[in-house]
Amino acid sequence: MRARIVARPNVLKIVDLLRQQGHEVVAPFCDRGRDTYFDVVTNENRDRVQIHLANPFYPPKRFVFPQIERLLTVQRHDGHLAIQPITRAPKRALFGIRSCDVAGIWHLDRFYLGGKYRDEYYANRRRNLFLVNVVCTDPDRDIGEECFCVCADTGPAAREHFDLQLTDLGDEFMAVAGSAAGEALFSDPIFAPATAAHVEQRRALLEAVRKRFKTTTSWFSATVRYVSQGQILEATWEQVGRRCLECGGCTFICPACTCFTVSDRPAGPGQIERVRIWDSCALAGFTRMAGGFNPRRAVHDRRNRRFFRKLAHYFIQRELSMACVGCGRCVAVCHGDIGMPSVVEMIRRATAPHPASAPAQP
Amino acid sequence: MARRLTTCTFCGVGCGLYLETTANRIVGVCPSLSHPANQGRICVRGWHVHEVASSPDRLKAPLLKKGGRFEEVSWDEALGFVAARLEAIRARHGADALAFLNSPRCSNEEAYLLQKLARAVAGTNNVDHGSGVYSNNSINVLLDMIGVPATTNSLGELQRSEVILVDGVDLGTQLPTIGGRVIRAKLAGARLIIVDARRHRVAEHADLFLQLRPGTRVLLYGAMAKVIVDRGLVNLGFVRAWCNNYQAFLDQVMGFDLLRAADICGVSAELIEQAAVAYAQARSAAILYSTGIEARGASSVRAMINLALLTGQIGKEGAGIYALTEHNNLQGVCDMGMMPDRLPGYKPVADPAARAAVGGVWKAQLPSSPGATARQIWEDRHGGRIRGVWLCRYDPVTTASFCDVPAALQQMDLVVVQHLFLTATAQYAHVVLPVVAFGEEEVTFTSTERRIQIASQVIEPPPGPLPAWRQLVRTAQVLGADWDYTSTAAVMDEIGQVVSFYSGASYDNLARDYGRQWPCTKDKPLGTRFLFQEGIPGRPFKFMPVPWPAISRYAPEDFPMAMIFGHALYYWHQNVLVQHSETLKRELRVVLLDYPEGFVEINDADARALGIRDGDRIRLRGQGGQALTTARVTGEVRSGTIFVPFFVREVEKQLLGAAAPEQGNLGKPVFVQLEKA
Amino acid sequence: MNAQFQDNIYLPRLAVLDRVTDDIPEVKTFYWHFEDEAEQKRFGRFRPGQFAQVSVFGVGEFPASLPPSPTEAATFFTIRRVGSCTAALHQLRPGDRFGVRGPYGNGFPMEAYHGKNLVFVAGGIGLIPLRSCIVYALAHRQQYGRLQIFYGAKTPGELMYLPDLRRWEQTAGVECFLTVDRATDGWTGHVGVVGSLFKKPGVHVPVDNTVAFVCGPPVMFRFVIRDLLAMGFAEEAIVSTLERYMKCGVGKCGHCCIGVAYVCVDGPVFTYRQIKQLGEDI
Repeated sequence: MRARIVARPNVLKIVDLLRQQGHEVVAPFCDRGRDTYFDVVTNENRDRVQIHLANPFYPPKRFVFPQIERLLTVQRHDGHLAIQPITRAPKRALFGIRSCDVAGIWHLDRFYLGGKYRDEYYANRRRNLFLVNVVCTDPDRDIGEECFCVCADTGPAAREHFDLQLTDLGDEFMAVAGSAAGEALFSDPIFAPATAAHVEQRRALLEAVRKRFKTTTSWFSATVRYVSQGQILEATWEQVGRRCLECGGCTFICPACTCFTVSDRPAGPGQIERVRIWDSCALAGFTRMAGGFNPRRAVHDRRNRRFFRKLAHYFIQRELSMACVGCGRCVAVCHGDIGMPSVVEMIRRATAPHPASAPAQP
Repeated sequence: MARRLTTCTFCGVGCGLYLETTANRIVGVCPSLSHPANQGRICVRGWHVHEVASSPDRLKAPLLKKGGRFEEVSWDEALGFVAARLEAIRARHGADALAFLNSPRCSNEEAYLLQKLARAVAGTNNVDHGSGVYSNNSINVLLDMIGVPATTNSLGELQRSEVILVDGVDLGTQLPTIGGRVIRAKLAGARLIIVDARRHRVAEHADLFLQLRPGTRVLLYGAMAKVIVDRGLVNLGFVRAWCNNYQAFLDQVMGFDLLRAADICGVSAELIEQAAVAYAQARSAAILYSTGIEARGASSVRAMINLALLTGQIGKEGAGIYALTEHNNLQGVCDMGMMPDRLPGYKPVADPAARAAVGGVWKAQLPSSPGATARQIWEDRHGGRIRGVWLCRYDPVTTASFCDVPAALQQMDLVVVQHLFLTATAQYAHVVLPVVAFGEEEVTFTSTERRIQIASQVIEPPPGPLPAWRQLVRTAQVLGADWDYTSTAAVMDEIGQVVSFYSGASYDNLARDYGRQWPCTKDKPLGTRFLFQEGIPGRPFKFMPVPWPAISRYAPEDFPMAMIFGHALYYWHQNVLVQHSETLKRELRVVLLDYPEGFVEINDADARALGIRDGDRIRLRGQGGQALTTARVTGEVRSGTIFVPFFVREVEKQLLGAAAPEQGNLGKPVFVQLEKA
Repeated sequence: MNAQFQDNIYLPRLAVLDRVTDDIPEVKTFYWHFEDEAEQKRFGRFRPGQFAQVSVFGVGEFPASLPPSPTEAATFFTIRRVGSCTAALHQLRPGDRFGVRGPYGNGFPMEAYHGKNLVFVAGGIGLIPLRSCIVYALAHRQQYGRLQIFYGAKTPGELMYLPDLRRWEQTAGVECFLTVDRATDGWTGHVGVVGSLFKKPGVHVPVDNTVAFVCGPPVMFRFVIRDLLAMGFAEEAIVSTLERYMKCGVGKCGHCCIGVAYVCVDGPVFTYRQIKQLGEDI
């Protein structure tokens, strides 16, 4: 079977193993207060890598879809133009990615690599990325106030789409391989065989952890129906829109958001670079056409758009993945408290038929 | 790959955010969840600060105008030229022929050294910051009435206020992080009172929306005071213990008539009453208004503070006066004394003891007469006296909309411009000195909640530009001063010796947490969350009587529309930083693209009544002239009101002619007739 | 040729500007070809209704409809100057190089329309994408039934592709009706909105076994759709090409998405039935 046991003192040796294999390993560290972050592991900071901590705010999508990414340069020389793509992508291992974010990366895989066209910049970074998922088992340190992965069914333990998964059983960790690359690590002596007892221990642990989530819930089912069937009244979107300050934070911070804009800028004598930058459908100019026509000028139309793209059945079916992973970042980033859980709740309350108006029983 | 916590460079909230860097380039930004001001939230400008910071459009070397054209020169040559010219002007025309002006976006260190250069080296008090004409009113009133020229409480406390009153500022666009706090406070049960002619996003959440006619605030607040007095809701204990001048204030208040005030303000008497009662009865009630960018008269500020004193809403958590600063360092720049009549720490230049104290640290004799303001300098070079001007990050050709700045500049013998880009103002300079960009130097900004914070250095600047503060030090040295600052931390140490409420604000201390809120002294190194939290010393508060203004009817019959000139809304669209981000340009400047010939905003019901559609040409006819412009129809503007963005200058000139600078601010609307052209 | 170029959907290929003609005010037609012959040949197999992404390096990239038919030898764009990118393109001179990516989009399924009558209704610069279909249909005349063209512009000076229009008016087996909103000196033709042509004496629009192509400004679109539905056209028999702000052209950047459809990949050609089912108003 693809499960192994690693003694607690040896867990960070996995980081060392990956570094020896030539990966640039990024892992989570603590900063002040709630601020945590992924950083490159060096000899100097290796012992400060954390297993249990609040999920870093800056979403790991930035490792496959950077906030600013240079696509190509164009060099003018003697009347000729030379176009040069920039395709450097480091071989990297992401140690400590959470299950919700694993689902986010999977969602991005389906989006950028699927469909009619394949995004080579994304593919290049993704191909070179090894994911070590750490399961959230510590209710005090791992699970935040805003987490709702159980509602999005992406956590606390991802079922697939990682290379290696680590679950803290106490004295030891269970390591599960999710890919051939992950399994290849098992040849190292720190991995011992796992027993049925270990598997049972993990199962019981996860069952207990599921009950330790905080108060944030997002009951998607009815909302997906209402959104997909176009039943939501404009007044509901206006209510949401009144609370929106059009900052774009929800889309930038979301592990499953993918929009970008492209811009040319000077990069040196006779040279320009074309970059792509995270963009947001929350912003008024997102759909503005040269000449002035803007089909989504009003803020409530843009709120409508966001949640349609996130929740409409059509997209969930097309991508085999819902564009919300339940990480809770949009709850934290929003000025007006209209992250996914709040809006799902507002839609449910506003759209659900009142019992008094239900047809009489035959 | 690296990341560092820093303070945002845009507005006065001072949000904490992390800049991500790779190979000496800023490649990302992410808010700080733990930062007490913003707690994980930033606005669209903050989300693109990484794009702005990496713009390749900047100046690389000092420029000296030779034969009418700019030539790149060395720093020695540039600063040598500047020093020689400064000395020549001073020798020939006196120290007061020189002026030193900056932007409210300058760092504390730059601002401090600029006014020190002016006062201790050049010998003049002609110092001011670009929004001086707008915000100095507030400083003087606050000092007069509560003794502290700043926001009294902290942003975090807004979540604990029972009542929040927001006056005349569109928080959602100007200070979004505060706008978000107010919305969330309302959702959590606070009562929200909005006093504004404009129905902006946050106003949509008001429990009580007092959408008053422009120019009637004094009446409204006076009426509220009257209601509070009549209903016996005055906090007499507070008034008797800590306030002066109550009787004089009371005498004036008794002259206010609620029904007459309601009639002129255009707000129902009932609503005014409800607002007054809610504010007075609240356990903790906060008043928020904006000090900078928007011009406002001193009377309306006095009237608001009177209310706070009347009801004891100062000196406790969740209450207070929020004198919001819209720029990242307007507070700091004023703290550092960039005012013609005040030294660093706000002591008057006319006070010999204050001059002696500061002069003692600087080892210099300081000039005693208050200097010229930015307005006076741009209007007519202060009666033709100013011949040389030093502009630090300041672009008055673009932002000082009330004067013909190019004309003033062209008559000067020396114009020094320190900036990142070749701005419109820089075109008129003799010397242009390139500064380093955000993230390329370690400096401090002081936010609107008095939080002195470090803005970190995260990358190395390119070769060529120098930090503005270093340029000031070198210039002083060339002029013979023995200035010797090795770092901005050293500058801050000296600031601590001169400004008592910064005395504990060393870089070490500031780096330990999320900056420190002043007063931050050696005895109180952790800073002060809200003022008077340890008690109120003596009787520091003073009521200011505000008489019933001389106004019999609101508008003349044949000119029924009140036109106001707004400086805050759309301010950031002109900002040079915004112009270097594709996305911010798209978002903030789109309104300029949609209305390429400029626009004024009119109410949708008014437009419908006159058959005017969005984009139509309209005519404004006033007593002094008429103007043709384009209508932007919006439900946000109050019926009977026309809002003119500050950059639509022709409208201002055509309607007001020579009277332009005086009229046309929120305090004094101009009355016009509106018709379809 | 670099194999990388085949894989990288964001890499433009170099194109050379051959000549420029002035059409109507603010509109020019740019004749160009790819530097690489193989690329030119591949691109030449585009379908009517597709578009390309045009790069003016240093300024930006924008989508441009393909008005030539694949049956014609020349490749060209007809571009109105409306923003910074199109303004930059308007400054280019013959011999200048720029970038092209494409062709993108679904295009009109001209083969599926074999045997049917084709009715083209265009307003203003809406004729640009439909020109490709018209020329294609004329090149395959035997495959189609009746061919009708209804076209209008604000003034006679704003009629696009006037030489083509005059030729179509003279072509046997093609009914070509023109109109202007406002006549100027010398105009002896019909005056009125495009929809008014349907009621002109002698005009009979076939409905059975007919496809109606509609392209023009939003107001014109609304009224023409209303007229066609009133005539008895089924929603699936009316087809149009939608326009949206685009950045990537390959369904990734998100700007052009309307409801469930990415205009650059699922469109830009949609039937009216599909437009109604997008899940968002156009």
